[in-house]
Amino acid sequence: MSLTHLNARGEAHMVDVADKPESRREAAASGRIHMRPETLALLAEGGLPKGDVLATARIAGIQAAKRTHELIPLCHALALSKVAIDFRLDEAESCVEVTATCRLNGRTGVEMEALTAVSVACLTLYDMCKAVDKSMEIGAIRLETKSGGRSGDYRRDTGESRPAPIVTGEGLAGEVSLGSRCDIDSPCIRVKCLAELRERLGIGETSVPLDSLERQDVAGLKAALKALDPRFSRLDEGRVLCAVNQVMASDATPVTNEDEVAFFPPVTGG
Amino acid sequence: MIRVQEAPFDAGAEQQALLAGRTDIGAVVSFTGLVRDFNERPEVVALTLEHYPGMTESALEAIVEEARARWPLDAVSVIHRVGRLTPGDPIVLVVVASAHRRAAFEACDFIMDYLKTRAPFWKKEHASDADYWVSERHSDHSDARRWEA
Repeated sequence: MSLTHLNARGEAHMVDVADKPESRREAAASGRIHMRPETLALLAEGGLPKGDVLATARIAGIQAAKRTHELIPLCHALALSKVAIDFRLDEAESCVEVTATCRLNGRTGVEMEALTAVSVACLTLYDMCKAVDKSMEIGAIRLETKSGGRSGDYRRDTGESRPAPIVTGEGLAGEVSLGSRCDIDSPCIRVKCLAELRERLGIGETSVPLDSLERQDVAGLKAALKALDPRFSRLDEGRVLCAVNQVMASDATPVTNEDEVAFFPPVTGG
Repeated sequence: MIRVQEAPFDAGAEQQALLAGRTDIGAVVSFTGLVRDFNERPEVVALTLEHYPGMTESALEAIVEEARARWPLDAVSVIHRVGRLTPGDPIVLVVVASAHRRAAFEACDFIMDYLKTRAPFWKKEHASDADYWVSERHSDHSDARRWEA
């Protein structure tokens, strides 16, 4: 393994990417800014003197991703197709976790853009909150995942897998995962069945390529699922709710590749 | 402030945190929901709460936003637990603070009604003889419809 930004004489140079094939590139990075619990509470309540902290930090992160090549000397200027910044307020750890996802179809990876977006979003959070808390600490800025390109896919080995929907210990009757995983070469719709429906169908997660749908909506997806596996005919039994990208949806809601579609029974929390 | 967590919570401490340093609040209403040992069957020994991470938080946020649009509220906390719980355990906490009591009472009631019918949580009860998923209750839906007039 060698450092691609050094030439044969050990001098820094910009890698010529003209002959590399274009591929779908995606990278996600994360970072944290620790603060006092009171500061986090003010942030959550919108009570900080400079105004809407998270909205400002989000815009800062997006801007930073677009301008990464101006900051990092040997980085190419990229026409990003997507930059998304998300924040999670972690009361237990008293921090804000920032994640950035960047995507493009191109010849060079987007991990520097994602890392820069996280860094600048964290710095902006510091700037927005420093009037009430100077002891904040930015840390753990790191690449989480990267896909596409010659060096292949990367996923940080966290050791702990974050609990996706909490799967009940008892009565986990024959849960099966169907179909292939979605990837860059074969994009698809990701389907989840939750709670009682997961156990009734015996299916937790599956994926369906958009091409296999006659109609590109939830009703079309249900038809394609039934063609894939007869157990999905039970989607018509009783009241089954649906969410597309975590927003409540109906049969007429359009779906597209990369969407997350969840089916679940009526809710019973509280 | 919205939290979905496995750990227990202390309703008193949460209410104190919400009120800390505030002198503009005139009323605070707090609701705690607990696991009962009887529900669809008489001998519930435990229950497991599943949720849909991501959507859960946004659904709760939307409910709190709606409450803030309807009543003049100074602060709102919602904590909902997930995972395995046993009878007597607190499941859910809603704390609402306002300048006056009426808004705090009504908004707390509203948030619970909407939480029960809109937030993606599911309960599986473990009784002495069987495990079963809890069915939706029509009374929860009619309670929620009270706010739609």
